[in-house]
Amino acid sequence: MTATTTPSGAGFAGLLRAEWTKLRSVRRWALTMLAAIALTVLISLLSAASSSFQTMGGSAPPIGPDGVQVQDTFRFVHQPMTGNGEVTARVLEQSGVEGVIAGWAKAGIMIKDGARPGARYAAMLLTPGHGVRWQTNFVVDRAGSAGGTAPVWLRLTRTGDTLTGYESTDGTNWRQVGSAELSGLPETAEVGIFVASPNFVRVERQFSGTSVSATPTWSTARFDNVGVRPAGAPSAAQWRDEEIGVIGLGGPDAAGGPAAPEGPGAPDTPDLPDAARVSGVPDSTGASTVTGTGDVAPRAPDEDLTRMSLSGVLIGLMPIVALGALFVTAEYRRGMIRTTFAASPRRGRVLAAKSLVLGAATFVAGLVACVTAFLASQPGQRASGYKPPYFPSQSLLDWPVSRAVVGTALVLALVAVFSLAVGTILRRSAAAITAVIVLIVLPQMVAGALPLTAAQWLMRLTPAAGLSIQQTAPRYEHVAGICLPESGCFVDGPWVGVGVLCGYVAVAVAVAYWLLRRRDA
Amino acid sequence: MEATIEARGLRKRYGSTLAVDDLSFTVAAGQVTGFVGPNGAGKSTTMRMILGLDAPDGGTALVGGRPYHSLRTPLRAVGALLDAGAVHPGRRARDHLLWMAHSNGLPRRRVDEVIEQVGMGPAARRRAGGFSLGMRQRLGIAAALLGDPPVLLFDEPVNGLDPEGIRWIRGLLRSLAAQGRAVLVSSHLMGELEGSADHLVVVGRGRLIADTSVAALLATASGDRVALRTTNRAEAMAALANAGATVAAIDAETVTVSGLPAQRVVALLTERGLPFSEVVAHRASLEEAYMELTRDAAEFHTTVGQEA
Repeated sequence: MTATTTPSGAGFAGLLRAEWTKLRSVRRWALTMLAAIALTVLISLLSAASSSFQTMGGSAPPIGPDGVQVQDTFRFVHQPMTGNGEVTARVLEQSGVEGVIAGWAKAGIMIKDGARPGARYAAMLLTPGHGVRWQTNFVVDRAGSAGGTAPVWLRLTRTGDTLTGYESTDGTNWRQVGSAELSGLPETAEVGIFVASPNFVRVERQFSGTSVSATPTWSTARFDNVGVRPAGAPSAAQWRDEEIGVIGLGGPDAAGGPAAPEGPGAPDTPDLPDAARVSGVPDSTGASTVTGTGDVAPRAPDEDLTRMSLSGVLIGLMPIVALGALFVTAEYRRGMIRTTFAASPRRGRVLAAKSLVLGAATFVAGLVACVTAFLASQPGQRASGYKPPYFPSQSLLDWPVSRAVVGTALVLALVAVFSLAVGTILRRSAAAITAVIVLIVLPQMVAGALPLTAAQWLMRLTPAAGLSIQQTAPRYEHVAGICLPESGCFVDGPWVGVGVLCGYVAVAVAVAYWLLRRRDA
Repeated sequence: MEATIEARGLRKRYGSTLAVDDLSFTVAAGQVTGFVGPNGAGKSTTMRMILGLDAPDGGTALVGGRPYHSLRTPLRAVGALLDAGAVHPGRRARDHLLWMAHSNGLPRRRVDEVIEQVGMGPAARRRAGGFSLGMRQRLGIAAALLGDPPVLLFDEPVNGLDPEGIRWIRGLLRSLAAQGRAVLVSSHLMGELEGSADHLVVVGRGRLIADTSVAALLATASGDRVALRTTNRAEAMAALANAGATVAAIDAETVTVSGLPAQRVVALLTERGLPFSEVVAHRASLEEAYMELTRDAAEFHTTVGQEA
């Protein structure tokens, strides 16, 4: 008998091998894993093929200096400035043309690489809801003094490629708000005052669907003490009043040219307020009233294509939930759990080994599913109209995309382990599978029927929060957006949701461990 | 490690039922110990407590002097067959043994050895769902033998086996004990243990009824009776009764005699010229002895059953 000799010890590695042998040796489980992969890919393909994106007229949104799509529509009263210099203005008042004004309506001063939409810029501006801001190249935003309200003095200086923004309450004492290198800014840049007012977005939510509509708004700002130094030729003649980014206006090379006595007029659209037709060119004292619409900000894509290409995961996750629960409940059902615990009396280690093996296997399968779904969805998405220039082409090697793909596989692995833990707690296949599926899928279904805030919290606090890892579109604090859970938007960033899911897994595994130690097998 | 199982004051309660009540016994090395009692007597519960699966409410169970949960590679110390059905039907028999081997760091070759030892042969490559009960029992026994352990527990191993299988199990139990292992075999039928058990632990209603060697039990049950075969039954009975014996007729040619040793019986019959073909000391069957032992426990059982 060899039993009296001290065994070399199987240790934890032996337990891992044992659990892996269990997992791989039941053919039905292997088929379940394959089904999860197949479902994920098929549903994603279907989703890519059934969605469609169409444009009528218009042109593609401009691309900012950082390669992101931007909205660059605003009223710009500007003149060229060559070399170093500064522009100063006092914002006296900001108001909405129709009585209300958006929190992110903008009035301020700007230095821009020409009037071409998407061109690099730096700006100091005042907003009704968020005070004084320093913003550059659409994506950078920094707050000035808290609670800054009109009237406020703003100044921008240029020294080489370095642009610096200041604010002041009296025009004498200046406080720096931000500074940035705008490499590539030409010797002659356009400087001046600008006004923008983002669209009014209306959301109607019903159980069966959601409609979002956007209506343009106008806001008006009064400036005085508008000045540019060094001053060029007679300043009034230098000014050019232009609506940037409005279709059919302002050619790409409209900027930087010699002074034009009169810029292209505003479009004669029927819904344009009268105020917008008034020229905002400053008078001899530097006073001016400008009315504008639009926004200068990064533009959220209409659809997160990476998320769309991974949408099958919500279905593919169901076989994974079943497999995770069965990996342990099948042992309870047949009494095999006794064989397991007789072979390994330290039950916590068994739970750990089961979790690791199941998690790792699911991660690998999930990775195969997600990479395949992503790659296979690309042609379908392009055929459905999701293609450049409206949608940037995406690559697995881009960080947000690879984060979404790898992160989704990770979420699948976490869900599998969660299901395993719930299975250990409940010891019944049907109960465990139902509980986990309800916990993950039900919030997605009822979110559309709940008030927006409740729906958002539901998606933040249930395990489905982990799917927020699929979001690739960056979130900007300085862009007002509506986060609709039913459109796959999560309030929190990608990793916060995964953290929530990890919390669920940790609690479930801890309870399972406690019960395993306490209960008779 | 010593090849022993030791139960000391084991107690287990399920709700209001006391399944095991202050049970103490020892299973020694080198013999087969039968663990006998009617269904529901607490045999399986006791075995689960020995294996650390159920926590006793009182008392301790030691294997080789150590609590089961302190064993790092328990399959090398204790082999157990609890429930032959405890196999995933979708898993091949060989894979079932393989995961067990991995969990205790046993070499892969042991899997092939036990498959050979229990005579599963090619069936080991089939999925357990299609197995007959007999084949599942063989798989369960193979699993118990995997770690070549000095202590073995079998819960009702002959259940559902054909006569050939039963004979095989008996031989296996004998040979395992002959190798010096401690073997504990439970059964609710004493007859199943006839010819294989050396020692008996008899339980009823969770309590110990007897802890005795098979030889001693049989001697008690047999008393000093003598069985006699004669063609002249009537005269023989009369003669023996006159000599002070108690005589009972079994069939037309057989009687049992108690109160007289065999030599006196032979002498008496020879003296009277009565023919006889056989005079043997009567041997009670194990089943008989068991019925006698458990009669009280069974009556108790019935009474309680009526009250409930």
